[in-house]
Amino acid sequence: MNLNLIQNYIFRKIDRPIFWSLFLILVIGLINLTSANQQDVTNTLSQTINIIIGLTFFYLICNIQTRVILTFAPWVYLISIVLLIFVPFFGIESHGAKRWISLGIFNIQPSEILKLSLPLMLAWFYQKNTYRIDYKIHLLSGLLIVFPFYFILSQPDLGTSILLLWVGLIIIFLAGLPTKFLITSFFGALLASPFVWNSLLGYQKQRILSLLDPFSDPYGSGYHSIQSIIALGSGGMFGRGWLNGTQTSLDFLPETTTDFVFSVFSEEFGFFGVLAVIAIYIFIFYRCMWMTSKMQDNFSRLLSAGLTVSLFTGFIVNIAMISGLFPIVGVALPFFSYGGTSMVVSLVSLGIIINLYLNKTLIAN
Amino acid sequence: MDKYYIKFILGNRLKLILNCFLIIFFLIIIRFFYIQILQNDYYSIQAFDNSIKVVPIAPARGLIFDRNNVIIADNKLSYSLEIFPENIENLSMIIARLKKIVRIKDEDIKKYKRIINNKQYSNSIPIKSNLTNKELASFVTSSYQFPNIELKENLKRFYPNGSLGVHFLGYINRISKKDLILLEKNGQKRNYIGTNYIGKAGIELQYEEELHGKSGFKKIEVNSIGKPLRTLQSLPAEEGNNINLTIDLKIQKIAENAFKNKKGALVAIDPKNGEVLAYVSMPTYNPGLFIDGISHVNWNKLNKSEDKPLLDRAINGLYPPGSTLKPFVAIAALENQIRMPPFKINDPGYFSINNSRRFRDWKIGGHGEVDIIKAIAVSCDTFFYGLAIELGIPKLNKALADFGFGKKTGVDLPNEKSGLLADAKWKKKKYNKEWYPGETAITGIGQGFTQVTMMQLALATSLIAFPNRSIVPHLKLNSQQLKQNINLASPVKVSNNTIAWVKEGMENVTKDGGTAAFIGKNIKYKIAAKTGTAQVFGLKDGEVYDEEKIPEKLKDHALFIAYAPAEDPKIALAIIVENGGHGGSVAGPIAKKIFDHYLISESH
Repeated sequence: MNLNLIQNYIFRKIDRPIFWSLFLILVIGLINLTSANQQDVTNTLSQTINIIIGLTFFYLICNIQTRVILTFAPWVYLISIVLLIFVPFFGIESHGAKRWISLGIFNIQPSEILKLSLPLMLAWFYQKNTYRIDYKIHLLSGLLIVFPFYFILSQPDLGTSILLLWVGLIIIFLAGLPTKFLITSFFGALLASPFVWNSLLGYQKQRILSLLDPFSDPYGSGYHSIQSIIALGSGGMFGRGWLNGTQTSLDFLPETTTDFVFSVFSEEFGFFGVLAVIAIYIFIFYRCMWMTSKMQDNFSRLLSAGLTVSLFTGFIVNIAMISGLFPIVGVALPFFSYGGTSMVVSLVSLGIIINLYLNKTLIAN
Repeated sequence: MDKYYIKFILGNRLKLILNCFLIIFFLIIIRFFYIQILQNDYYSIQAFDNSIKVVPIAPARGLIFDRNNVIIADNKLSYSLEIFPENIENLSMIIARLKKIVRIKDEDIKKYKRIINNKQYSNSIPIKSNLTNKELASFVTSSYQFPNIELKENLKRFYPNGSLGVHFLGYINRISKKDLILLEKNGQKRNYIGTNYIGKAGIELQYEEELHGKSGFKKIEVNSIGKPLRTLQSLPAEEGNNINLTIDLKIQKIAENAFKNKKGALVAIDPKNGEVLAYVSMPTYNPGLFIDGISHVNWNKLNKSEDKPLLDRAINGLYPPGSTLKPFVAIAALENQIRMPPFKINDPGYFSINNSRRFRDWKIGGHGEVDIIKAIAVSCDTFFYGLAIELGIPKLNKALADFGFGKKTGVDLPNEKSGLLADAKWKKKKYNKEWYPGETAITGIGQGFTQVTMMQLALATSLIAFPNRSIVPHLKLNSQQLKQNINLASPVKVSNNTIAWVKEGMENVTKDGGTAAFIGKNIKYKIAAKTGTAQVFGLKDGEVYDEEKIPEKLKDHALFIAYAPAEDPKIALAIIVENGGHGGSVAGPIAKKIFDHYLISESH
């Protein structure tokens, strides 16, 4: 009885269905990470720390007043833009791209933070202009998107920049962008696509081309895609068992802890394992969308929808990528891939959505 | 804009997004179902192929021993540094680094490149062979610097006796493209997948199949950079068979030493069964030079040398038999009832056909009264000139062919030559010229067109010793193949009288008055022999052969055939010493050394 009270107190500001599904995903993720890292538990331990930090933020965010989020929104955006501008100058280079900046004891990835701060900013902007939303507001919102998009694209980080662009456009779309405009811009994009193609870097073009037929160049850019599909396929119905995937343990899979972390899971736990995990993700997604639909004000709805779309676009792109439906663009799987910034940002996003839902009437009132 | 209108739009569009996402989720699940369930078999094989490599295990090559189990061809453990050429991007950089710890000569690099050009399968290629212990130690301690270089332990052919007996032994060398085509034709390619070497000459080539053995394999699990992790399954290789040769290495050594620096050949046979006891071709070379691919410098040295060390003079050297042919010519005559004792001639020192051209005897003034036995003992040319004319080429050649001349002896070595028994038909075809009676005359003393190998001469000599046995000279002890060959060969049919007279003549060669009388002095056994001198270039009519004035390479070849002991022959041999002058004095002592050792030092 007493325990129940404590439990009730702790969870009074937390959506329990989401929390427990999340908890399940995180635990599976940790177990999988140990295998992905060849039974070396160092990554598992530091990921656990990432999760603890993330959950702390998650808990705090769930428990603060929504007004605080609203107030800080533009500042978070500004700070993250400043960090983003810093990257080319003070960034740490890895794999030919500058994406991280060092903050002494840990490194952060400003582009990941943008996944949070861009929806915050846009939602705040539309909230401030709730009663005079017109094409000018939409245009200004577009500028707010293009700015970070350009910086991240030039890091270069094609995956994250497109994801941000997508999330931003979804928010504008939800904010009531006229249908006429939508159609025109669709054809505009279609016309612009050859120019975009030309501006892509060689390896980016290769990745997109290799998607069309990964087996045409099995040892070149298609190699990662092929090895990932082999991992999936050899997993079969029930998988090859934890730690038993040869594609993983013999190093045929690249980036097993980040981009291809779910290939490891698919190989070792098979189709039913995959189905279970995807089902949990779909549940969280559906619940987030449902909660969004219950919200009353522009800020909450746009922010919540933006964050949800951001999280689950990442999810879709990642598993589409490892199953050969999408080019290898380097998008992490939320809650599953190894990475501190990504984990904290994902958990904070979810925390914000829950906060907005539980306080859904506050701003409206 | 109306707040509720926005809410309405937002709600609708949210639903649109929700539905889109759900559809995408559904498509992804279908995709996973397709890959993981429907394509499971296919990708399982792919994953297996990824991680499993089949590595061939080369069998240990069979060893070669002499008849007394003295080793002739051995295998020695050796270490080499090998490179998978596909893994190498910057060869010169790796070599530069490697040079700091291991001595790498330009020759090694050349060798490496030559092998690459000759490449057959994706085996690794040695960049440095035969590491010394010191080099081995320093490589092992710094091997982490060379992830692309593999230290390989292999059994390597080793010829402990150096050049001794190289011509019958032969050598091995790396498998070339040509060998590979041949192996493929014989369906042997699979068996050679892990093998780098193949027999190229001599016994190493002749008995390649037996010596090679059978390849095994090992299934190993490898990671993405091909590093072996564990063995899953293995089938050990079957070692090649060891081979015992009929050669007696001691006699071989004595024979080679007896030649000193002279060129020539020697074949010694056990006349009872055809076992080859010694097989000499001088000069020799070191077969070890070939094992890792011979360098250009060494190859040119061997190939362009005037002394032709690569030529196997025992079965590929064709020589005029000179007077060593006389016993066989005598047999031909006697079997045709010509010049049978007591027939005699009076030798004036020359023979003339129709009183026109004169054929000189080697002895000025002649031998006086000569019957066929004396004609062999003193090597009377006059007697045999006349005999040949009287007998005629067809009958002579037929008898000579019975003794194995003009055809291969069937010895178990590759590329034997068959020699030549010439006749009018052959000459017409070859030179489009008529056959002259004079040519018949000189054929009777082993000059002219006739060409023999020492193997043929040794076999023919054995057949005088035991005319009723059918033997095939051979080098492999207890060969099954040989027994079949013997059954095919028919024994020579000669009358006892004929053989007795010829044997008497040959025994008289080493007695007082014979052409090799000095050899017969002070020995405990009797030697039956025949000396011979083969002209390298012909003297003109009336010209006198003067050994002092003739340059070395135009000097006559010295030949000698013999068997001993005469009453119960245990060894028969044929010797040629190129440019050695007179047969008895140069080749005879070599024969005697061998006989002494074989018949006295060892009690056979």
